[in-house]
Amino acid sequence: MLKKKWLLFFVLMLSVGFVLAACNEDDSSKEKENKTQAEGGDDGASGEPQKGGTITGAMDTAPAGVFNPIFYEESYEANILDFTHESLVSQNKELEFEPHLAKEWEINEDQTEITLKLEEGVKWHDGEEFTADDVVFTYKAMSTPGYIEAGGIRSSEYAERLLGYEEFSKGETDEFEGVVAEDDYTVTFKFTEPNVTILKDVGFSIIPEHIFGEVPIDEMPEHPATLNPGEVIGTGPFKFTEMLEREQYVLEKHADYWKQEPYLDKIVWRVVDQSVMLGLLESEEIDFIADPSGVPAPDYETASGIGHVEIIEQPDFGYQLMGFKINHRKDADVEAGKIEPDNWVPNEDMSEQKVRQAMAYAIDREALVDNLLYGHGSVINAPIAQQFWAYDEGAATKYEFDPEKAKALLDEAGYKDTNDDGFRETPDGKEWVVNLNYPTGNKLREDSAPILEKFLEDVGINIDLRQPKEMTAYQEELEKDNSDWDLYLLGWSLGSGDPDPVGLWNATAPYNYSRWNNEESEKLLKEAVKTPEAFEQEYRAKKYSEWQSVFSEDLPALLLYAQNKIYAHNKRLNGINPMPYSYNNEPENWWVSE
Amino acid sequence: MYKYIIRRILVFIPMLFALTIIVFGLAQLAPGDALSGKSLADPNVDPEIYEQQREALGLNDPIYVQYWNWISSAAQGDFGNSLIFNGRSVMELIEARFANTLYLGLFSLAITIIVAIPIGIYSARKPYSMLDYGATGFGFLGLAIPNFFFGLIAIYVFSINLGWFPSQGTLSSPGVSGFDAFTDRIHHMVLPGITLGLAGTATYMRYMRSEVLDVLGSDYIRTAKAKGMSERNVLYKHTLRNALIPIITLMGFEIGVLLSGAVITEQVFQYPGLGTLFLSSVMNRDFPVVMAIALILGILILIGNLIADILYSIVDPRIRYD
Amino acid sequence: MHTNLESSLPTGPENAPIDQQYQHKTPFQLAYQRFLKNKLAVVSVFVLLAIVIVCISAPLLTSQDPIETDVFNIEKSPTDEHILGTNGQGQDNFARLLYGGRISLIVGFSAMFFTLVIGVLLGSIAGYYGGKVDSIIMRGADIMLMLPFLVLVLTIMAVIDKVTIGLFVTIIALTSWPNLTRIIRATYLSLREQEFVLGARAIGASDVRIIFKHFIPNAIGPIIVNATLMMATYIIVESGLSFIGFGIPQPTPTWGNMISEAQNIRILRDHPEAWIPPGLAILITVLSINFIGDGLRDAFNPKSNRR
Repeated sequence: MLKKKWLLFFVLMLSVGFVLAACNEDDSSKEKENKTQAEGGDDGASGEPQKGGTITGAMDTAPAGVFNPIFYEESYEANILDFTHESLVSQNKELEFEPHLAKEWEINEDQTEITLKLEEGVKWHDGEEFTADDVVFTYKAMSTPGYIEAGGIRSSEYAERLLGYEEFSKGETDEFEGVVAEDDYTVTFKFTEPNVTILKDVGFSIIPEHIFGEVPIDEMPEHPATLNPGEVIGTGPFKFTEMLEREQYVLEKHADYWKQEPYLDKIVWRVVDQSVMLGLLESEEIDFIADPSGVPAPDYETASGIGHVEIIEQPDFGYQLMGFKINHRKDADVEAGKIEPDNWVPNEDMSEQKVRQAMAYAIDREALVDNLLYGHGSVINAPIAQQFWAYDEGAATKYEFDPEKAKALLDEAGYKDTNDDGFRETPDGKEWVVNLNYPTGNKLREDSAPILEKFLEDVGINIDLRQPKEMTAYQEELEKDNSDWDLYLLGWSLGSGDPDPVGLWNATAPYNYSRWNNEESEKLLKEAVKTPEAFEQEYRAKKYSEWQSVFSEDLPALLLYAQNKIYAHNKRLNGINPMPYSYNNEPENWWVSE
Repeated sequence: MYKYIIRRILVFIPMLFALTIIVFGLAQLAPGDALSGKSLADPNVDPEIYEQQREALGLNDPIYVQYWNWISSAAQGDFGNSLIFNGRSVMELIEARFANTLYLGLFSLAITIIVAIPIGIYSARKPYSMLDYGATGFGFLGLAIPNFFFGLIAIYVFSINLGWFPSQGTLSSPGVSGFDAFTDRIHHMVLPGITLGLAGTATYMRYMRSEVLDVLGSDYIRTAKAKGMSERNVLYKHTLRNALIPIITLMGFEIGVLLSGAVITEQVFQYPGLGTLFLSSVMNRDFPVVMAIALILGILILIGNLIADILYSIVDPRIRYD
Repeated sequence: MHTNLESSLPTGPENAPIDQQYQHKTPFQLAYQRFLKNKLAVVSVFVLLAIVIVCISAPLLTSQDPIETDVFNIEKSPTDEHILGTNGQGQDNFARLLYGGRISLIVGFSAMFFTLVIGVLLGSIAGYYGGKVDSIIMRGADIMLMLPFLVLVLTIMAVIDKVTIGLFVTIIALTSWPNLTRIIRATYLSLREQEFVLGARAIGASDVRIIFKHFIPNAIGPIIVNATLMMATYIIVESGLSFIGFGIPQPTPTWGNMISEAQNIRILRDHPEAWIPPGLAILITVLSINFIGDGLRDAFNPKSNRR
């Protein structure tokens, strides 16, 4: 029996040893901390660009695998398509549109037509010439009947406003009038109405007609030229040549690229779990961590502590919010999928403006940014990306953390603690419980929910923190708002094309999950795109500034924070020059120093 | 025997049918659908578009219509298209993953057998030796560590700190081929394979030990020894054959356990197998993929059980099926 | 053999040869004596007991609230106030370890208990009555066993809107009864034609009486052994499900969701205090339960060579 004791001892020793072995391994990251930290991107650009070399990037999820601009859906696929396909115009750091495949353009007076001159001598990856017919084909494909049914989702954003879209997409006519090739290198876009966002609308990635011309739209998503490396054809500086599905995606340089021959031979994307990314960056198995997730804020320290790593930090296009369900829809409307503001039923306590404002004052958003995001983000007060000309910091109410003011506002609105249970009751003396709903899928947002709960309870609001739901389930309940929801957490990542917030905050917009209906807001949003005044950016900026003031005062949602994108790359990589909206900018200029 | 096999296979059909109904029902009961998750990703896309796609995909049809549509095309071998992977064919998605999971499963089974059986035998022959204690201790530990936890630590120690093994994926680049590809694949499977095989190895080791001990203590072995047969001969001729019987049977039934483990292990190592695909499909409500995987797993397990039964009757002639 | 029959003890063929000195004792007493001889198992009982007591007395050991978040103390290293530091929401790791132990143990125990109830009930019915009922139950078990356990659990969990501890336990129990049912049924089938059962039937004993008086006591060995091993497995299962996001959801602490927070190199490397304690807690708890299970197996089945 003595032996059993030995066994016990042995087992315990083994377990302790195992765990210790696992945890006291190196502290190399800390040792390196005293080395200089690299911020910004100017020190690596020393010396002449060199030709050749392969770099490896990491993303945390594999692309779904549809490498066709008109059918792709997510940012992981975009990480391939950004290198392989190009559009007529692109945006610069100030988000102004610049020539790309189109070298110049002319817009008519009432902004219903734009005629673009295309670059000549642009070659597709297979050597064919790029012409105006490809442009026509791309937009025609997105307008073809059956495009949406085949899985396409881009028509509302890029094709809908084209002249004759309605008739063509319903199959009533075979003639596509929206985009016309004047000659091989001249193309004209025609719109039904004066178009304020005309340059954004012509900025969609072009697909080759000589490949897809004869393919029926419903077969396009399964076509080899959509799915297979080596067969995906674009005009971009890199070709998609090889893949190990779900693991590696290889891009090789397009030697005939029209701007210049890219320096790099190859760019390899590896799919790597978020948890080991930094380890691989440190061991130089990967060279850069970029979109869509970048380096998580809590890992910033670790990343910047690695000697050979350079970090670029910039604000992200998007924000996280805590929305107030101001109104609910009626069952019948939800059933029928109708969004009819006149039928809405106010959500008793959330429809009280003072309550919403009080909650805004009760939450210390600076603390969220400083601690949860480790300072790598910012507090914003209006739902327009801060990079845009339309963002007006000054116009919005700030709601700086002020619990006393929050309490005063609640008192004013009649929400007082009448029975001394520590929580406030409604003005008519009933128990007041506010539910807070949130989805899973974003670690920081999940962590923020119980913190928000605490801030709100500190001013005497009884919060029912609901169990987090998966996104799919969450969205369904969020949208079908005949439920009892009061507060909801959500994040939006915005487009960089145009700042117009109408798709998210207009009363009838489906994404207006707060069901916010404010006359003044409606009026301003309409005016902001009213032609011909709206052709002047200044006019629009003024209207949006007024709108931001209305938004932040009436407060359909409290904007919690805008995260920063943190990109990291090996210092041997040069020429990296991210745009505010994407890391994958001008990869033909990237090069490695040995 | 053949009659028995055919009868068993005939029983499979209604069972698989029941399985599809249950899984389909569950998949439909789950809140939200494949498109609802997508629509929050990009606010520039008009939600109306998703509504049109829903209609076109038949997601708005009554559940029995959807089931009928699914089962009638599945019966013809068409499992439809994934709702999440932008309409790619389910079969094509599963094909590559299935192979990956199969390799991983076989590899971890191989580790299990190579490690567990010799050590089990040794432990039984030299009970209460140092190695026996070590093995038993390891056996208990192997069953007590959650395998994702073991995997995380293995990645941290052997991949990040020591750099001995890759922690992600199945190959180091799409270009490798031939024998290099084989060794490369093995190299990639070491950590996930050990992680997946940990619990199994522990179980088999203890099984093997006790079976061998049982057989060694039995009358006929004592008789054989008494008759002057050499230790070696006794061990290999009699003991092993009898001790292996329960192990072989166990393995047939082990397929399910292995596949369960694969869901978590593949997740830890971002190993592109059926487990990760199943998990993401369940979360994203990609029911065509969920259905196809459930059906495949069901068939696999049924076949595994059948083979186990048949093997059992071969190694142990006392058992007869008719 | 024959002498044993005289002692009115219901005895199966398994434990037929019994040493003379144990003649006058019930099987339970015999098992108890044999169990006491297994030092490892006895030590394990005390270890497990200690863990249970520590978890129960959590409020006495820490004044921290395991659910209370603190935005100003996120992922902090140990201090006097937070002796194991804090997690990503600023919750106190030590409090979560203690309170999480409660949940993990409760989940493990009650899932085991419910599986036992379902398994024994269905196994008894199937094994005792046989015929149609038997084949219905066993077909049900076959269908359940057609999917790998986790796959089945995940499919069901996806349907659940709000996962509570009770619901979680129920789902685990509802998906894992078939194995136990099979074992019980097999035991019953072997007992059914035994003389003492036939005898009891002949004197007109009711079904319920026969089941409780003769069958369950004979099957108790495998039942108890399986029960302990199940409890250990369920604690591991909960942690695995937590890891893939299908466990007991936040903010409820469990050992499982504590270690699954460590799925990040930063925490593995910089905050060992956050994951080693729950990791060790699971390890030690599961180890001692398994040792106890082994001890019980030997106790009920003295012929077995398993330690």
